[in-house]
Amino acid sequence: MATPAEKITGFEPRITAFVCNWCTYTGADLAGTSRLQMSPNVRIIRLPCTGRIDPLFILKAFERGADGVIVSGCHPADCHYTSGNYHARRRFAVLKELLEFVGVESGRVTFSWVSASEGQKWREVVNGATERVRELGPFDAYRALAGSRP
Amino acid sequence: MNAKIISEDRLGALVADLVASGTRVTAPARAADGKVDYRPITRIEEAVLESELPRRSLKEFFLPPTEPLFSWNRDASGVRIDQVPTSFPPHVVLGARPCDAAAVDILDRVMGWDYRDELWFGRREATTIASVACRGVDGSCFCSATGRGPESTRGSDLFMTPTDGGFRVEVLTPKGEAFVTAHAGRFGDDPGPAAAGASQADAEGPRISLPTVQAWLERNFDHPLWEEIALRCHGCGACASVCPTCHCFDIVDEAEGVTAGTRRRNWDTCQVSRFTVHASGHNPRPDQGARFRQRLTHKFHIYPTRFGEVLCTGCGRCSRACPGGMDLPEVLQAITRLAAGPGQATGGEA
Amino acid sequence: MRELQELARKLLADGTVKVVIGWEEGPHGVRPAFVVDPDRADRLVFDERCTHNLASYLSPRRPHLTRLGKPAVVVKGCDARAVAGLIRESQLKREEIVVIGVRCGGVLADPSTAEPLSAETVADRCAGCQAREPHLADHLVGEAHPEPPGKGGRDARIGELEAMTAQERWGFWQAELARCVRCNACREVCPMCFCERCVADKTQPQWIESSPHARGNLAWHVARALHQAGRCVDCGECERACPADIPLGLLNRKMARVVEQRFGYRAGDDPAAPAPIGVFKLDDAQEFIL
Repeated sequence: MATPAEKITGFEPRITAFVCNWCTYTGADLAGTSRLQMSPNVRIIRLPCTGRIDPLFILKAFERGADGVIVSGCHPADCHYTSGNYHARRRFAVLKELLEFVGVESGRVTFSWVSASEGQKWREVVNGATERVRELGPFDAYRALAGSRP
Repeated sequence: MNAKIISEDRLGALVADLVASGTRVTAPARAADGKVDYRPITRIEEAVLESELPRRSLKEFFLPPTEPLFSWNRDASGVRIDQVPTSFPPHVVLGARPCDAAAVDILDRVMGWDYRDELWFGRREATTIASVACRGVDGSCFCSATGRGPESTRGSDLFMTPTDGGFRVEVLTPKGEAFVTAHAGRFGDDPGPAAAGASQADAEGPRISLPTVQAWLERNFDHPLWEEIALRCHGCGACASVCPTCHCFDIVDEAEGVTAGTRRRNWDTCQVSRFTVHASGHNPRPDQGARFRQRLTHKFHIYPTRFGEVLCTGCGRCSRACPGGMDLPEVLQAITRLAAGPGQATGGEA
Repeated sequence: MRELQELARKLLADGTVKVVIGWEEGPHGVRPAFVVDPDRADRLVFDERCTHNLASYLSPRRPHLTRLGKPAVVVKGCDARAVAGLIRESQLKREEIVVIGVRCGGVLADPSTAEPLSAETVADRCAGCQAREPHLADHLVGEAHPEPPGKGGRDARIGELEAMTAQERWGFWQAELARCVRCNACREVCPMCFCERCVADKTQPQWIESSPHARGNLAWHVARALHQAGRCVDCGECERACPADIPLGLLNRKMARVVEQRFGYRAGDDPAAPAPIGVFKLDDAQEFIL
């Protein structure tokens, strides 16, 4: 793994974003229709609600080659399903601490609340996450887990 | 059968020779947490040859906990299957316990039964096993009761008995002979007389009659003992994972993306509830009594019926590992007593 | 332990329960016991070797036990938390069991050891225990014991891990988890792992690879720690059962600390207190969310 001080020449982070349909996905769409320029490194997976996001999705993203993950949804009190994001908030807090405890650098996972009207904020989230992950380098350690024991 | 002698210094030099020539050397050695495992070593000083029983057995060196069988890749031109190698680099196990060496030999029967398991035998062929006579471990051992013993040479190519300053080495198989010849400079002739019996630890083993147990198991599939005896069993599978002779495996296909993947075999155990779950949801072994009965029956009735010997070498790891306090010798003794006739105490309420 | 034996004998003799789940002498130290005959109640013991959490045996997915009939279960304070957890999560009805609480002064980490209880041999979770007299109990037996010896090393060890860099922690856990062969003992002995069908066994799709390679093992242990967060009662059975001596307690204890610090919740022996991951507060901390 690269140390934070090293930049990998030519490394383009691959970032998977799990976003809720009603807020962040719409906000990201707004960023697009507003022609906002942002890092192209993020692939979005749309879910009905952050409450639907199982922490296993984040693990699977890393298993399948993501260098970083973004999880984003509606602000508290704005959830389309009333309370999904409140449940998610607790789950994410625990997940974040656990991932750090087992040695996943904290910069690789980004959580945000982005509303349907916050196209600008989505750009900042995407750019910020991309730069943090670029700094950290490819998540070779996770990919190196693939393969057999001797 | 002939015998040689090797001093501790020469043994150290032998290990260095092997490592230098690219041979993997495995021996009981301390892991980072201080417990003894069979581990790769590069120097004889790392080996712990005369005390604790390694936490796991030798089976993982012939049947790894997970093992790729083949992998596939699909592209525009079709599907390519990549086989895994079935021949392996040379490997020496130094300091195997007699119970563990015997277990590997016992497993050769089933691994070569209806078809020849190339991966198992590939590893077997690449490996030379040098066992060390055992001084007994603790009250959980019962190797003598299974027909083995602390000086059993079954499954060993070389059998080492400690002497003053070294080991007496009995050469038992052609592979052992070839090994000693290849490293002739390290071994001396004139090994002296065989040492006296190494261990008293197992001399008073439990009173178990294996033929009695086998016959009883044949006739008592529905005995109330099975309701009682497994009450404390969690079905956790710890016993099977540390057992030198348990060998069941599961086969899985692991996709890595949509175009590639690997088929693997992984250790499995009849003790977990899902082992016999059918696609319909029906489970013919629906509770722990049935599953524990299966384990016992496989080891002490089915395997001996088919292959002439029990699938157990009495190492005692199952009893040590069990979080619920199950004890295999206790169960076997209970069955021996039950078989002796009515009026005898049963295993009691579990 | 005359008081316990007498109570068990009475409960069985008058038909209040059909089985008493407790501890007895086995060939290699103390082990769980299932007494159905009142005249055999004298098999029951309680001393510092009674490490096992008997609440594991109350899970409804153990038909060979539920067939015996209504149980009484002997619990230490830590075990009682598991009983409360099972009631809280609708796996048991309170009236379906009789809880015999036993006063405890600490137990051995290894119930088969012949050593006496000391700072070196005591189970790590016993240090500073606040639950030496279970509250969730129909009957309470045993004399009061002095405080358990020892200071407990887990929290210090967790602190050491937290002070490492991410790479160092990764290396630590990879080395520990490399010994895992996915025997699933940790899951099967855990009283709170009672799912009829574990997420790790689901194959369509397969979120957690069943193979004991590094990738599968990490997914399994992360998933289990997450599913136990706020629910684990710190009975230590997972770590005791693990045949590879993986320090699972560190993961579960770390999660328990996170849950306590962030949500003010600690698994206790009150079945009415709601589990923290199923509930939320409007003002939960969200400093980590952009």
